[in-house]
Amino acid sequence: MRILIATVQIPFVRGGAEVHAEGLRDALRASGHEAEIVAIPFRWYPPERVVEHILACRLLDLTEFTGIKTDMLIGLKFPAYLIPHPNKVIWILHQHRQAYDLWNNTSLGDLVNFPDGAQARDAIRHADTQLIPEARAVYANSMNVAARLKKYCGIDSTPLYHPPQNAAQFHCLDAEDYLFFPSRLSAGKRQELVLEALAETRQPVRVCFAGSADDPTYARTLKELSAKLKVERRVVWLGHVSEKKKRDMYARALGVVYAPWDEDYGYVTLEAMLASKPVITCTDSGGTLEFVCDGETGLIAEPNAVALARAMDALWQNRRRAKKWGRAGRQRYESLGISWENVVRTLLRQDADR
Amino acid sequence: MKLNWFSPLPPARTGIAQYTAQILPALSARADVTLWTDQTEWNESLEQHAKVRRFEPERVRWSELNLADATVYHMGNNPFFHYGCWQTSRRHPGIVVLHDTRLHHFFAGVYRERWRDREGYVEQMKRLYGEDGRRTAEAFWTTRGGPEHIAEAYPLTPLALENSLGVLVHTGEAFRKLAGEKRWPTIYAPLPYAAATRLKKRRRSAATSASQTPYRLIVFGYINPNRRLDALLEALASFPERTRFQLDVYGEMWNADYLNERVGALKLEGLVNFRGFVSESELNCALDEADLAVNLRFPTMGESSLTQLQIWEHSLPSLVTTVDWYRELSTEAVAFVRPEHEVQDIQTHLWDFLSDPKRFARMGQKGRRILERRHSPEIYADALLKFAGQTETLHRRAITHRLSERVGAEMGAWIHPRTKNDAFNRVAEKILPLVV
Repeated sequence: MRILIATVQIPFVRGGAEVHAEGLRDALRASGHEAEIVAIPFRWYPPERVVEHILACRLLDLTEFTGIKTDMLIGLKFPAYLIPHPNKVIWILHQHRQAYDLWNNTSLGDLVNFPDGAQARDAIRHADTQLIPEARAVYANSMNVAARLKKYCGIDSTPLYHPPQNAAQFHCLDAEDYLFFPSRLSAGKRQELVLEALAETRQPVRVCFAGSADDPTYARTLKELSAKLKVERRVVWLGHVSEKKKRDMYARALGVVYAPWDEDYGYVTLEAMLASKPVITCTDSGGTLEFVCDGETGLIAEPNAVALARAMDALWQNRRRAKKWGRAGRQRYESLGISWENVVRTLLRQDADR
Repeated sequence: MKLNWFSPLPPARTGIAQYTAQILPALSARADVTLWTDQTEWNESLEQHAKVRRFEPERVRWSELNLADATVYHMGNNPFFHYGCWQTSRRHPGIVVLHDTRLHHFFAGVYRERWRDREGYVEQMKRLYGEDGRRTAEAFWTTRGGPEHIAEAYPLTPLALENSLGVLVHTGEAFRKLAGEKRWPTIYAPLPYAAATRLKKRRRSAATSASQTPYRLIVFGYINPNRRLDALLEALASFPERTRFQLDVYGEMWNADYLNERVGALKLEGLVNFRGFVSESELNCALDEADLAVNLRFPTMGESSLTQLQIWEHSLPSLVTTVDWYRELSTEAVAFVRPEHEVQDIQTHLWDFLSDPKRFARMGQKGRRILERRHSPEIYADALLKFAGQTETLHRRAITHRLSERVGAEMGAWIHPRTKNDAFNRVAEKILPLVV
């Protein structure tokens, strides 16, 4: 089949969504299909641009090129997943969250801070609600994304997990004295909370943070906070690291601490499981909760510094248990059948009609 | 429902502040209201019904406004009271309540006095009214007077509605006009007034009145030239039975020296008393004592009259001008004065009054019944909140309109006339599902 993958791209920015689209394209090709990515440049501000991008997507005709039919369109990201096609399957990475669950969140969402934000919010919600059901089948990146789609738009979808990049290359080595937190430095990932928790620990817990900052001033804020909390000697800021270095850090970590706010999916959790490492996360961390089993493959703490500190202390104190939970995490990953083969098989299944 | 409400607030000396005070109890019984004001002070009593928040138009925290379900802006002709409200409405879409349907005074004040932006004013006049508008704007800019004479032909009202989701008007005529344009969803709700219960006045009988104290005429409010006091003074001066009347004028006057001079020149001293601005209770006493109110306007800016509702609250008969909102009033509740025959009509009504004061008293009672039936704040609040409850739909409609304008401007610049219709139809088909 000739299959197009519709997504959006913010020019000059590369992240998980790009890796995801490429992973799908490669998997489709590996299954014998012709597959291409169509990436629409996307700007979400001022809010009126969002609606213009919806219209631009709706005006695109991707049904055939040079007289040869496009057999299928797989939509991944808003608003590209609204591009019409008679044989469309949507696999939603996430909706435009600022119009949904982040609407009331003035620090993580910025739509609410625009004077005409509410107007754009209503237009986005309406477009999603009206146009997503055009697809033959709707899948979501995780149960969390599926639940949001149901809550805000009343649309049913099926969660469909996919593996992280280079899943086969994750491995486990003997644990050293640090917890690993790989992620972009941003308010939503809540590195601040981990620093505050570190100040509350009773054990000499150390945390290595890997990842660059969305906003350089935020990186400074975090470093200033670690100094203020007097935990700077127990913190390492690695900045951006290569994929190889990242896997090595996972392999040698005692465990992974990952406490974002309402994550869509959370590669970090899956990567930790692949590296046989236990994961500490929070009760409001969203997608991570679909994978971490409290007291079996890691710990789930309340999202406050003291509770998180207790979880970090617990992991730090009992290395044998940490190792056991890490192995259980790996087994759980394998039991979930997460693979690109399964993704391709599911997305191309014709009996998945709505 | 959470509601943002941008309006002048008491003690600001404007009818719109009074209006907000009138509607607020009914409104806050039905919604969670936040009053937004750029005034530095307001009557504390308002805070029994709503939160009061100060704002500066240049530093609005949009997230606070966005977290309400709807925003309502009140527009009138005084730039001092409405500038901040208008500036906010241009950026944060909401429902606009038009207290005046011709807003040229407001925009002349903004462009000429506040911004000193001749180019901008002329450009807006040209954009809305073409070359004719441009010429008029150029001519007006160099005059020192107000825009009374051009406000009707060039109301500039669309400038106040640029980003509005919908419009609420207080006159049937304004509703027909705006609804007919199909640009903005529009509703009509008569100006609300919380009528106090008043004891029935002891009206004098015609028999006793003839030889007793004179009948009391009353004019009140802010006395601008359009209140036609000139014409009333002239009518009184040449009225043979003028001594059977006494005229009391309450409120600030645009030119007290001139009016005093006129009273002297017309030999009306003793008959006419200028009382100035008085407390509400003093005005209420005066209205209770009065026999006939004179509530003329010419020209008007398309407003409905809070003064008229106050007159009716006191079951007073009144003379009004046959213009705009006043023209729609019941002949059973008011007596009409034609703008082109003011003196003649006033005198006719004074004769009629003297010959049958009971008929005029019945007019006042009819007015009171109209006030209670049609101008109830509860009915008004229900209508307004029902409209505001459609904000989500109104948002989509407005954004689609903007999108259509953007597409029209973009495509209109290069598309061939022969393919224009097909192309626009295709785009329209894609836009439609975004609204419906």
